[in-house]
Amino acid sequence: MRVSSRPTTRGGAGQRGSAGQVRKKRSCRFCESKETYIDYKNEKRLQRFVSEQGRIIPKRITGTCAKHQRLLVTAIMRARHLALLPYVSDAVK
Amino acid sequence: MQRVNRFYESTFIVNASLDDHQIDAAIEKVKDVIVKNSGKIRELAKWGRKRFAYPIKKKNNGFYVVIEFSAPGDVIGKLERHYFLDENILRYLTIALDRRALKARTAGSLLAAVQVSAETKSGEPAKPPQTETSREQGGS
Repeated sequence: MRVSSRPTTRGGAGQRGSAGQVRKKRSCRFCESKETYIDYKNEKRLQRFVSEQGRIIPKRITGTCAKHQRLLVTAIMRARHLALLPYVSDAVK
Repeated sequence: MQRVNRFYESTFIVNASLDDHQIDAAIEKVKDVIVKNSGKIRELAKWGRKRFAYPIKKKNNGFYVVIEFSAPGDVIGKLERHYFLDENILRYLTIALDRRALKARTAGSLLAAVQVSAETKSGEPAKPPQTETSREQGGS
């Protein structure tokens, strides 16, 4: 076990989480479908990249690459502005 | 000198407690602003009434409209000023579409719009370029 407490996706298969289960390495699903633009209007899709509280899930967990994470973040922020996604979900309030 | 036209997409939310014809009037006004300032409307999609993720101006739902148009850059200022002054428009968002966005657009155009409302006239999700907009362009 490594000393570092920060989980990295580069660790590959065999990386252990806090509960001890083995994590799979994830690939960017936007790269897989070769997307160049992430639409803010498709809220159902964006919802997958947002936690239950409405926070954006970091790319180290979803496996999104840096480029697509940037596009994703702008899309989520636009969707929030138009009240398609919450800034803070009702469960937290 | 010829002004450069760019592509824009503008989404705005109209107060849903208005009657349908009042909502249509508000949409017409927005279209007017674009057309009168030498912009061209490429596509207009009404998503219909939708629930907000959080209340805006103490309202829980609104009527969403998406307009895609090409226009010279100075139209945007006028359009946003119109949005700001119109009390029935609760929220708006205007973005410039770059090449990548346009490319994605022709592939799965206004996808979310189709999911939400079946009443939208643009039946085909792939390429609905002019639905009710062609007449407007002639009048400018």
